[in-house]
Amino acid sequence: MGDKIVIDARGSSCPGPIVELAKAYRNSKVGDTLELWATDAGVRADVQAWAQKTKNQIDSITEQEGKIVVVIKILNR
Amino acid sequence: MAGKLSIIMYSGTADKFIPLGVLAQAAAATNMQVRVFVTGFALLGFTKQHNELPFPEEFKSFAPMLMEGMKRTNTKPWFDMLSEAKTLGDVKVYVCSLMASVMNIKKEDMDPIVDDIVGAASFLSDAEGGQTLFI
Repeated sequence: MGDKIVIDARGSSCPGPIVELAKAYRNSKVGDTLELWATDAGVRADVQAWAQKTKNQIDSITEQEGKIVVVIKILNR
Repeated sequence: MAGKLSIIMYSGTADKFIPLGVLAQAAAATNMQVRVFVTGFALLGFTKQHNELPFPEEFKSFAPMLMEGMKRTNTKPWFDMLSEAKTLGDVKVYVCSLMASVMNIKKEDMDPIVDDIVGAASFLSDAEGGQTLFI
């Protein structure tokens, strides 16, 4: 069972959220779930490109009151 | 490695350094190898004294708005973005040997962010098979 790690990148503009995600990814392990919080609209497309490049999985992207929450499953380290 | 991005930094105006920082960071964050080849007046941004880079004449009146907007959106200065990109992944900054000697700028005059002084042929060989941008 992996850990759940929350990354709060709200208020950070492109490519800040992806940089924060990459930093957290470095310290993660297979099976972990990363939950990225962001307010930059570019994050939706960026996380998908990131997941494709790093061979990880986006479980969901939701938005509530301007807060975008991306749930990422780590499949590959 | 998930691909390769090579950036030729040629322009020496401040506005052109923003995409350098953004793209280097985004590429490093997505596991891409990044190679920056510094030539032309862009070299002035990589010296130890950190020359203040000018804005192009036609956009000068927008510069204060841009700087204010960068602050408001928490966008870091290009140098911080490039430095952070180097901590994230395989990012190297190479200075063009011709421009360095033309401008009489030696390795010891350059900021430590510069990894090496190389020739055009070695940069092209590094860039082969990846994406290359000329800024």
